[in-house]
Amino acid sequence: MKRLLTAFLVAGLATGVSAPVSGEEQDDGGWQPGQAGQNAGGNEGPREPVPAVDRGRITAGTEFNPAISVILDGVYRNDFSGEVEDPAGFGGGHDHGHGHGHDHGIDEGMQLREAEITLSGTVDRYLDAMTVLAVDEGGNVEIEEAFIQTRSLPAGLRLKAGRFLSDIGYINRQHIHDWDFVDRPLVSDALFGDEGLRETGVQATWLAPLPFYNQYGIEVLEGNNPGVAAFEGSGSHTITGYDTGEDPLDARQRSTVSYGLDDRSGPRLFTAFTKFGPDLGFDHAAQFGLSGGYASSWQDVETHGSGRVDVWEGDAWFAGVDAVYKYDAGRAYGHGNWTLQAEYFFREISVDYENREPTDWNNDEDEGWELNGAFSDTARQDGLYLQALYGFAPRWNVGLRAEAVGLKNDTLEPNDARTAFESEDITRRYSGQVRFMPTEFSIIRAQLNYLDVPGHGHHDDGAWTFMLQYNVSLGQHGAHQF
Amino acid sequence: MARGIIAFLALTLCSAGVWGQLNVVATTTNMAMLADTVGGERVEVTTLSPPDRNVHHLEARPSMMAALRRADLVVAVGAELEIGWLPPAIDGAGNPSIQPGRPGYFEAANQVERIGHMETADRAMGDVHPQGNPHIYMDPPRLARAGLALAEAMAELDEAGADAYRANARDFRDRVEARLPDWKQAAQDAPGVLLFHENADYLLELLDVPLHGYLEPVPGVPPTGRHLSELVRGLEGSQGVVIRNPWQSQRATRLVREQLGWPVVVLPTNVPLNGSADDYLELIDQWVQAFVP
Repeated sequence: MKRLLTAFLVAGLATGVSAPVSGEEQDDGGWQPGQAGQNAGGNEGPREPVPAVDRGRITAGTEFNPAISVILDGVYRNDFSGEVEDPAGFGGGHDHGHGHGHDHGIDEGMQLREAEITLSGTVDRYLDAMTVLAVDEGGNVEIEEAFIQTRSLPAGLRLKAGRFLSDIGYINRQHIHDWDFVDRPLVSDALFGDEGLRETGVQATWLAPLPFYNQYGIEVLEGNNPGVAAFEGSGSHTITGYDTGEDPLDARQRSTVSYGLDDRSGPRLFTAFTKFGPDLGFDHAAQFGLSGGYASSWQDVETHGSGRVDVWEGDAWFAGVDAVYKYDAGRAYGHGNWTLQAEYFFREISVDYENREPTDWNNDEDEGWELNGAFSDTARQDGLYLQALYGFAPRWNVGLRAEAVGLKNDTLEPNDARTAFESEDITRRYSGQVRFMPTEFSIIRAQLNYLDVPGHGHHDDGAWTFMLQYNVSLGQHGAHQF
Repeated sequence: MARGIIAFLALTLCSAGVWGQLNVVATTTNMAMLADTVGGERVEVTTLSPPDRNVHHLEARPSMMAALRRADLVVAVGAELEIGWLPPAIDGAGNPSIQPGRPGYFEAANQVERIGHMETADRAMGDVHPQGNPHIYMDPPRLARAGLALAEAMAELDEAGADAYRANARDFRDRVEARLPDWKQAAQDAPGVLLFHENADYLLELLDVPLHGYLEPVPGVPPTGRHLSELVRGLEGSQGVVIRNPWQSQRATRLVREQLGWPVVVLPTNVPLNGSADDYLELIDQWVQAFVP
């Protein structure tokens, strides 16, 4: 692997160095780009002035500063009927029954979801760099992405290193402002966590030299994703108690239970993907993707006030397919355009489960506990979404999305006897949205969700949510990946 | 397996065009026309967008990246006209030789001086291009000058063809220059033009045809009722013609026709797919004819 990387880099440097220097000055009085207009055309003769060619890209950017854009995203949310819950069986072992979620990142009421600040530019001949910061209402700054990417490797090869959104699936690499709905699809949320698969690591991609689009890629990632590569490491859980009637400081007693997990240094997550896009002419475009990944370690811990600890340890893999089709009607401002998009992902986590209970006070953490239930089992879960958007008028579109998670739903939740994991039913959600785009730089969107989490007697009626969103971009003219 | 590899290689070689030809990818049909006119037999030209679209609003598609992956030279209009899709398409192509700054990257608008260069810009002014109006292809002499620069760009990539490229570019320029007096003559009495978008300003300036304004209140924003009524009020009693592109809305132009009685002409700004220099000169002829109703 290391030798291969070195070969890539050497090849990249070589192509960079051998590239001829552009924009050389002509010594025969030929015109320069800046004054191009004035004297071309005259001066007929055997030695006509040779124009200098400017190979630059004209941009509104400010020369050496990175290109800057700020995207503001605000959402109003109202759960006007029923109770919005997490999908059944996707608590990752962390909930008992159903958590009353906040639809991951979107609270009820008005909020500034994030101000996304993107800085991008070219480091040197060989590298581009990009940083995407998300600042929330509380002033918390999060590095959404920060990576370097090669720009001069030959033969369709590119390397990326840093913290980035994985290229698995279709929607995973998109930021909030690229989405066609206010919220992330359930399947992405349930299998990869509420930030999608975002990791620190390296990525290599290769675009095949074919008449159609065909890209292959692999990623070697640290592996901290709570969905497919959860990591905990060694540690223990301590509770403190007191003898009655005594001074609490003297009578303090401790009970400690070790997790029994090993520290494993990364990389722990490895992914691969391929994308295929046939050439369908100017009106139609499609892309189909196949992706998957393997996590060499999947560890999770749930601690309880009683001192009890649930521990999961094993490995995991996932795989998925995605498809996108776009129709360009060629009319003004997106009128008549269609987009169809669908993704399916499956995740399998094979783990040893242990329930560790404390047995006495003032103990040593390696001894004072006992197993109260241990077994090995496999969690198999999946999910999909299908969405369609149509530009029904210039600058307006309408969209529908149907989702299901847990079509196969063997969860990580142990049964009461602690002999195997429980199974759950399917959670479904249906969404409709209308979007108005006053200009290229702003959108306003209204969305209605109906969520149907399989109930256990209580609130079986499903939950309705209404959301209103604005999203505006300042600065550098945005460009969108397909 | 072996058969698969052979098929793969064969496909790869075929896709690179006839051996020795320069593989040129043009963003628009006008740029493809220019590349084909200058490159002649020595180049194989692929076009990324059809003539009936607003090039500014396209999206980077997988097929564009596939074409750019195999390109020796990209010929773009430039000055941010293709900014929404060409930079990500080039980035996604993994082809270092066509990155901006390299010999394989060419923006026509960067080879000539542009009108409408702004010292300050604000998006309240709409989708403006602070670096100047990118639509230089609507100015034949400017496009011809960009052609001369393109010949040099091609010559650097394919030295053996240098003389041919230069001769072709000069030939195109001579043809444009030969037509210029006729166009100027024909447009002499033009009463003025109301444009939908500022994409024919170069031609109006070249031929001294008065510009009565734009149907868009600011670039990139569709006509509003208020803007149109102001326009109409200001132009009442005067003569002129409205020109729009095929993809632009008829509703606004219909209103102007009804209120002012001006004729509306629908004209493209790009030659047909695989169009030639003849098609380009004819396109300019059509515009000149439209100026004088």
